[in-house]
Amino acid sequence: MSIKILKPGICSTIQDLGRTGYRSIGVGPGGAMDFFAATTANYLAGNDEHQPVIEMHFPAASSCFTTPALICIAGANFDAHINEVPIEMYQPVFVEKNAVLSFKKNISGARVYLGVYKGMEAEKWLGSYSTHLKIAAGGFKGRLLQKDDIIAINAESHLLNRKKIRISPAVLKTLYNHQSPLRCIAGPQCFLLNAESQKNILQTAFTISNQSDRMGYRLSGNNCYLQTPVELISSPVTFGTVQLLPNGQLIILMADHQTTGGYPNIATIIAADLPRLAQLPVNSQLHFELVSLQHAEEMLLSTHQLLAEIKTGCENFYANH
Amino acid sequence: MVAEKEKGYENIIVTAATSLILTNKIIFISTTQFHIVPLSESALLFYYSPAIDIIINEKIMALHHKLASTSFPGFIESAPAYASLAVYYNPAFIKQYYPDTVTAFAFVQNIIESLARESDNLNFSQTKPITTIPIYYNGEDLEWVASTHQLTTTEVIQLHCGVVYHVFMNGFLPGFAYMGTVNEKIITARKDKPRLKVAAGSLGIAGAQTGIYPIDSPGGWQIIGTTPLQLFNKKKADPCLIKAGDQIQFFAIDKKEFDQLNEY
Repeated sequence: MSIKILKPGICSTIQDLGRTGYRSIGVGPGGAMDFFAATTANYLAGNDEHQPVIEMHFPAASSCFTTPALICIAGANFDAHINEVPIEMYQPVFVEKNAVLSFKKNISGARVYLGVYKGMEAEKWLGSYSTHLKIAAGGFKGRLLQKDDIIAINAESHLLNRKKIRISPAVLKTLYNHQSPLRCIAGPQCFLLNAESQKNILQTAFTISNQSDRMGYRLSGNNCYLQTPVELISSPVTFGTVQLLPNGQLIILMADHQTTGGYPNIATIIAADLPRLAQLPVNSQLHFELVSLQHAEEMLLSTHQLLAEIKTGCENFYANH
Repeated sequence: MVAEKEKGYENIIVTAATSLILTNKIIFISTTQFHIVPLSESALLFYYSPAIDIIINEKIMALHHKLASTSFPGFIESAPAYASLAVYYNPAFIKQYYPDTVTAFAFVQNIIESLARESDNLNFSQTKPITTIPIYYNGEDLEWVASTHQLTTTEVIQLHCGVVYHVFMNGFLPGFAYMGTVNEKIITARKDKPRLKVAAGSLGIAGAQTGIYPIDSPGGWQIIGTTPLQLFNKKKADPCLIKAGDQIQFFAIDKKEFDQLNEY
């Protein structure tokens, strides 16, 4: 009962929703870049949100199931195929023994998630299955997946999905609408920017540079300037923190960010928009929009609410199947 | 955010950064005024006027430990830095159980404010045991640090070993400890061009700070030695050797002792 990696893809790792409790010793949460896609991949595959999933970038991994299994693909649209036949995303898919999962085309998004019914075997480190590449711990041997890796899965599945469940495309369209600006709240040091830069950040476009990865997105755009140069002392940061680098460019800290940083903290992308940010590929443009903290909280709560509804729907589906 | 708070924060950053790094004088802030701002919708940042100051840092650590022992509904974790503490929480949980609160932030802010006021009255001058760390002073930048300050390498080693360091915080890398402050005679600016790879165990100086790289990493600190001890051991339940709040002193060892003790 396993998934065998035929081709590894460029950056395929096992992730969950990240580890908590170790920031104070310098270990950040890590975890899936797109928590919404990772969570729904699990729910639709009949799991709770805590099972490990495989996160893949394009070109993504090709893999073979040595046993019948129930899977769900969520996140980026990389044109998923089973045995050369296209499959639907955001719904449970039954695959037969020796089925080959592959991704043909980079259509939209930046990272795709594979959830498997009852989950897969992964190494838990400091309470999480997420792969910590620097420490080489968690996930699959603490590293990127390689050719011929064999990931044990916890259950065979012979469920036939005659009945369907899927996430409404309208919901996904709203959530991942790449046209709408990224909402952010003001950061502790946004007032250090000069007036023109404060305006520029909210009124001009930025491009995600190719020096972007799971640690951070480096943006290119108009240079931003402080009123007077400062050297700060290190202070905690978080997923979504927007920092101003000494060269005048911005960086958005992503899932594998360091726990502390010494650059001015200008803004924080609201958590409800992090899934959309995580699915923005290199070279895409983005705009920032300033919102209140109260709005940010409300948006996160409604994202939680949406996930809770999806969870209930999936639980009922599997209970009646 | 109040304009006055922001203004004060900005001004003090400038003073702290210029005077501290250059003169190694520890700045004692007369006021213990703290500020609380959102870091995200699920974290807040509690901070004093930024400075590399043991008394301020002890207050941060006291609040960090107090939160760990008392907790509050929705509390996830807290992470200390030099003069700030991030408190991470679950806003959905808070709003569910306290629907009357306008924002989860306001709810947590209240708790942190009262905890901070209580811990302001605590006595921070408790003595802690000193952990000693062996160092083979063979670093690539040792000669350079010595010649910059017109010292011999032996003098640099003596000065570096002659201080009990306070661990202000962990950050940058898992298990990386920011320690200070070094004797003013060996305060050395970071390298102009960071190395692409600094080996695990390397001991460095950056300004008045000193620290050891727990894993191979790019880095700009002036490397003066190497410890044979593993700073971060992923196999241990408590993987981090040097933690915020600890007292550390280094002692010099030779190549033979290094090889005997080498955990890498």
